[in-house]
Amino acid sequence: MKTYPLGEFEEIVLLTVGVLYDEAYGVSIKDAIEERAHRKVSVGALQSALKRMEKKGYLKSRNGEANAQRGGKPKRFYTITAFGKRALQQSKEIRTELWEAIPQIALDFTYR
Amino acid sequence: MIKRLADRLFRWFCHPDYYDEIVGDLEEMYRRSIPTDARFVQWRYLLQVLSLFRPGLIRSFPPTLITPPIMIRNYIKIGTRNLLKQKLFTTINITGLALGLSSFLLINEYVRFEESYDSFFEDAEQLYRLSTVQVSNGEIGVKDAMTFHPAAKALKEELPEVQAYTVTYKFDQLIFRKGESVIQEKNVIAADTHFFKLFDYDVLQGSADNMLSEPNSLVLTESKARFYFGEENPLGKTIQLLGGFNRPFQVTGVIEDLPENTHYPFDMLISDESLKDRDDYDSWNAFNYYSYIKLDPSTAPSRLTDKLEKLSKKYLGEQSSLRFHLYSVRDIHLHSDFTFEAEIPGSERAVSMMRIIALFILIIAWVNYINLSTARAVDRAKEVGLRKVIGAYKGQLIGQFLLEALLVNLLAALLALLIAELVLPFYHQLIGKEISAHVWNHLSFLKSLLMFFILGTAVSGFYPALVLSGFKPVAVLKGKYRNSSSGAMLRKSLVVLQFTASMILIAGTFIVYRQVQYMQGKDLGIATDYVIGLPLPSVEAAQQEAHASKVESFKEALRQHSAIKTVGGTSNLPGGDGADINSTSGKLRLVGLTDRIEGTTYVQYNDEHFLKAVDMQLLAGRNFDRNRIADSLVVMVNEAFLKKFNIADIESVLHEEIQFGEDENNDKYQIIGIVKDFNRTSLKSSVEPTLYFPDYQPGHVVIALQPDSYQDGLTYLAETWQQYFPEAPLDYTFLDDRFAALYEQDRRFGEVFGTFSALAIFIATLGLFGLSSFLSIQRTVEVGVRKVLGASVSNIIGIFYKDFLWLLGIAGFISMPAIYFGMNVWLENYAYRIAFPWWLSMAALGIVVVFALLTVGYQIYKVAILDPARTLKYE
Repeated sequence: MKTYPLGEFEEIVLLTVGVLYDEAYGVSIKDAIEERAHRKVSVGALQSALKRMEKKGYLKSRNGEANAQRGGKPKRFYTITAFGKRALQQSKEIRTELWEAIPQIALDFTYR
Repeated sequence: MIKRLADRLFRWFCHPDYYDEIVGDLEEMYRRSIPTDARFVQWRYLLQVLSLFRPGLIRSFPPTLITPPIMIRNYIKIGTRNLLKQKLFTTINITGLALGLSSFLLINEYVRFEESYDSFFEDAEQLYRLSTVQVSNGEIGVKDAMTFHPAAKALKEELPEVQAYTVTYKFDQLIFRKGESVIQEKNVIAADTHFFKLFDYDVLQGSADNMLSEPNSLVLTESKARFYFGEENPLGKTIQLLGGFNRPFQVTGVIEDLPENTHYPFDMLISDESLKDRDDYDSWNAFNYYSYIKLDPSTAPSRLTDKLEKLSKKYLGEQSSLRFHLYSVRDIHLHSDFTFEAEIPGSERAVSMMRIIALFILIIAWVNYINLSTARAVDRAKEVGLRKVIGAYKGQLIGQFLLEALLVNLLAALLALLIAELVLPFYHQLIGKEISAHVWNHLSFLKSLLMFFILGTAVSGFYPALVLSGFKPVAVLKGKYRNSSSGAMLRKSLVVLQFTASMILIAGTFIVYRQVQYMQGKDLGIATDYVIGLPLPSVEAAQQEAHASKVESFKEALRQHSAIKTVGGTSNLPGGDGADINSTSGKLRLVGLTDRIEGTTYVQYNDEHFLKAVDMQLLAGRNFDRNRIADSLVVMVNEAFLKKFNIADIESVLHEEIQFGEDENNDKYQIIGIVKDFNRTSLKSSVEPTLYFPDYQPGHVVIALQPDSYQDGLTYLAETWQQYFPEAPLDYTFLDDRFAALYEQDRRFGEVFGTFSALAIFIATLGLFGLSSFLSIQRTVEVGVRKVLGASVSNIIGIFYKDFLWLLGIAGFISMPAIYFGMNVWLENYAYRIAFPWWLSMAALGIVVVFALLTVGYQIYKVAILDPARTLKYE
């Protein structure tokens, strides 16, 4: 089976790009992750993840309109490719399989 | 600001494909968060930018920084070989840099030392000296470092900002008994029990809080304790004080020896309680005490000005023009312009001039390296060309030549350390201060060495590296390479810079010397040759009368000897420091002639022989006469005094009267004589308005000796002294020596200035030597052709000289105004100064020119005498 390498942070970014669908660009992705995953994201970490995944082919991007709010610079929108979707699916399957493989007793905690 | 910086940084390292997008994101986030604290947002922006510096996002850099180690090894090898091959240049470069660096660092240490005064106290920032100033018409007139005895205590009680205070008194000298002999101690102060709360010297024995609380207690420094008691424990022992005290003092404590960098040096302390007999103790009648206070750390002294004024009026009377004044203890040594300072203060101006000298020397040394390595660029051109052809990046070549500069600078730095260590004792002698025992373990020295080694590498190495790495491989490998004209231009400007600096230093030295010489040689208005002065022993009040008649017969005895011309008496010997005089700051008028005028009037007490002893000239009127009963309320004045009252006709004030204060009933003193102005102290200050009152038992004796037999006179003096005052040491000085001592600092400054100027010109000449040697060798062929065509050796030298004379001319043109303005500022320091010595300055310029021409001439001559047949045969 072909494997799709995907890091934990990459996965979160990729999922968020999916969530935002047509509105996924640097700032909105950052905000969404911070809101939904409750974690601080630095621009550097985010951008390098985006660029890495674009290189791997999980993402594709296009330029938006130039925008005065952004000092005259265009937004760059990201969308998931079919390849990216497969990577996400695989990652999800692996997790599900692992969940199911855990014996009942191992998770039999009571919270006290 | 921070954002702009971050933007530029980001543009520099960001991959161009990603730049627009990311900077847009950053901008958007920046704008939406602006309403909060702007600085914070900017910093966050910078942090974001820094987080973007990662492999995936940065642009590709040329492999400069990623040079493989094997290449670095190659650079070192080639660099070393080059250094060894060009031994002359290497020696010149390294010696010049090392000399420059060591002088710079040594001067730097001196400057640091001067600036470190009194900063070693734990609360140095909070310590202030309470001084007294006189304010007339809203302006500060006279500033006196001392204050009234109870003033500091009053401030502590009135102002919550004052955390602690101490009152001290500095003795001129005290006589101590040690075994059978008597010792004169000149560094004794009295202090109250709070002293060590402000000045936290280490207390080795005794208790800091109460060792000064009892009367007649004595605290010694460690070395004084050893001097008086050897290895015994001094605590509880007593030392007999002679003279005015004449009673035993008990040693209650021992403290560490004081460091040299304090404005208030002492080696013995007696308790303040021991001073109770003084008239001004706990009284508001005179200000003779150095007092210090410690302010709350949050209080700036400027905030207390109004309060201090109110307190001045409360304690000194509404009418008084005197004000309490606070002066930061750390600033005293270099910045104080107060009279009656406890030490001879340092000179801020001298320190900043030293700084300039240091910088000049360092620049001269760096310029040497730049000039020599760019001039020699031709030698390396082929190497550079080849390296480029094989595939070296420009960045790598820059790295290579910087590495070579590093190598040279490293050797120079090590040599500089050695030089500095070796010359340190001589340097201490030169500056008259002990900065540190060694430099190699002196942290601040090593830090500066490291810093300036790195800076030097960058400054001296960068430009040559740029030039050398910029060669076009095709051009140099074809052999078409010549030194570029812009490079030659830069070299010439740097040579001009070097010579300007040398000229300024040499001329500065000459002028400083000239001024010191002038001051030492100037007619003071009195005779000081073969005139000696000495203090008389002081005694307790009870024995005053007996003592007076003893002194009188002592003087009579002296007068019997043929080698002694005159024996006079005075309160203050001429040639003392600025503070060695009495003064009064009250109002004063000439009765019936003038209004009451404020300001300081200086007061000296003389007997009737003083005039003759120092050959002081009486312009009008008569001398004191002790046989006239009416002569108790008389006074002599000097010309400066009359000038202050705007009186031109000196005869007109004869027999007029002087009155102090506001009260009509105060004593009136009749003016019986007017004396010619004479300088009582350094020529830095002008002659003060002075009153001379009669006193027939003053504290000092002035003896004029016969020049041809003064030795006999001195012998006789010693014998007679022994006979009359066996208890006290005889301590006489020649008045001319006293005056010379006043200029000690200036003379020393001149010497330091001179030494480093000589060094500067040496380093500059060294560089010029190398440069001209190289340039003349380069032009060997040209010289050969010229000779073949009939030029004589002197023709050839003339042609080369023309270039250099231009440079020297420009240097002279630049340096002259600099010398004129710079040295005039320095000369302004002196009330009696020389006019700006144009000729001497020209001579200084001339010296530099001669040095330069000799150096250049020697090198050209070596080439010019070569046989053209031999020099041309390779062409």
